[in-house]
Amino acid sequence: MSERYSRRRMQSSSFTTVVSISLVLLMLGLLGWFILNTRKLSDKVKENIGFQVILKEEAKDVDIARIQKTLDASDYVRSTEFVNKEEAARRLQEGIGEDFIKFLDYNPLLPCIYVKLKAEYANNDSIAWIEKDLKATKLVQEMVYHKNMVSAVNENVTKISLGILVFSVVLMFIALVLLNNTIRLAIYSKRFLIKTMQLVGATQGFIRRPFIFKGIQHGIYGALVAIGLLVGVLYLAENWLPELIELQDIEMLATLFGIVLLLGVLIAWISTALAVTKYLRLSSDDLYY
Amino acid sequence: MALDTIINIDKISIFQKSNLVLANISIGISKGEFVYLVGKTGSGKSSLLKTLYADLPLTQGNVSIAGFQLNKIRRKEVPYLRRKLGIVFQDFQLLTDRSVNDNLLFVLKATGWKDKPKIQERIQNVLEKVGLGTKGFKMPHELSGGEQQRVAIARALLNDPEVILADEPTGNLDPETSEGIVSLLMEISKNGRAVLMATHDMMMFQKFPSRTIRCEEGGIIDSKPS
Repeated sequence: MSERYSRRRMQSSSFTTVVSISLVLLMLGLLGWFILNTRKLSDKVKENIGFQVILKEEAKDVDIARIQKTLDASDYVRSTEFVNKEEAARRLQEGIGEDFIKFLDYNPLLPCIYVKLKAEYANNDSIAWIEKDLKATKLVQEMVYHKNMVSAVNENVTKISLGILVFSVVLMFIALVLLNNTIRLAIYSKRFLIKTMQLVGATQGFIRRPFIFKGIQHGIYGALVAIGLLVGVLYLAENWLPELIELQDIEMLATLFGIVLLLGVLIAWISTALAVTKYLRLSSDDLYY
Repeated sequence: MALDTIINIDKISIFQKSNLVLANISIGISKGEFVYLVGKTGSGKSSLLKTLYADLPLTQGNVSIAGFQLNKIRRKEVPYLRRKLGIVFQDFQLLTDRSVNDNLLFVLKATGWKDKPKIQERIQNVLEKVGLGTKGFKMPHELSGGEQQRVAIARALLNDPEVILADEPTGNLDPETSEGIVSLLMEISKNGRAVLMATHDMMMFQKFPSRTIRCEEGGIIDSKPS
């Protein structure tokens, strides 16, 4: 009975370590998921940035189709939409709620192409450059875009991303310190065993090896538990916020889980090795403090 | 230094932190000798033994033990020195997280034994020598103090060491058990091992008289000076 008791006690110390590792990894995993999705969200915001290419009156349908095709084929365009004079008039009419054509007796609007950009080109520099390119085509009257809005979106996205990054680095640091302490405590509780092993003639490497194997094992178990919890949390989050499903990306999740597993093993390995080495180097007298 | 000298202590001074415990002492011990190391608590017996197994760094003088020069020993060589010594600790120093058999198995594996049948045979062999042939499966805390001390002695015997250092191996035991342990150590010394045993048990060296080194006031008095 006492034997079973002591076994159980030892297992429970392993259990504590695994729980700590898995909780820390869960936190890091959520953080990683958050960072990966911040990028996607910011891309989504940026991809709503676009401009209008107003075409000249004399542009023929063939020319317009050619311009649209060129735009569609270019690297920086996500989507284009052609709006002809009549459609433009209809939209404006809806907007102001007045039949201005009847009043003016002619349609003053020009045909235009709405262009939406890819995230990496959604900034003023790129747009200016695209504008120059388009203006070279004689059929383009002008390009309309909101310079201020584009720079505001970009500035805010950069600010928010930087904030999240700093926050993540701080959280990650805290997590690593806590995990390192947990593992160090687990080893500390075995410091006299380590000393005894040294006194009977075991080399440092021989003593360290089983501790490190055990540490890696804990890291793997912790990571698997953390991945399980992550799946659960993401599942619940999607139930609660169905829009999240849009962001879901199996490949990204697989990478995230891989990183969690790798981190678990690495952290457990390094912390265990450092802690055991510390107690291997300590003289017998210092073990008591 | 005689040919069969296995421990040669040459003008060493021992410090505990910055306190001088033993000053400028020299001792020579030969193979097959059984030597008592006596003295009051705090007189430096344990410190001397710790110096011999390189747990306390040597700062002055030199010790030559089982072929190692302790003034020049490097951290990496210490395990190999300890394999040549059998050390019996006052507080047993068993691995409390595993059975008696696994305690002995650890030492054998740590010192390079690979052949499983030979390992089993050796474990059984030393356990029988200390009269614990049937208790190998027990956890250390399930044994009495005397039994634990005998496991510690069995462990010290595993690699057939040239020197046995015993730090008050009878300190926690009843007289009868103590006698058994001392006579066991005596027997081992008769097989050509040097045994240095620290004790303050007067009964023992009346019953088993042998060379005695007394630690006193920072120095030693040797009953058989070399």
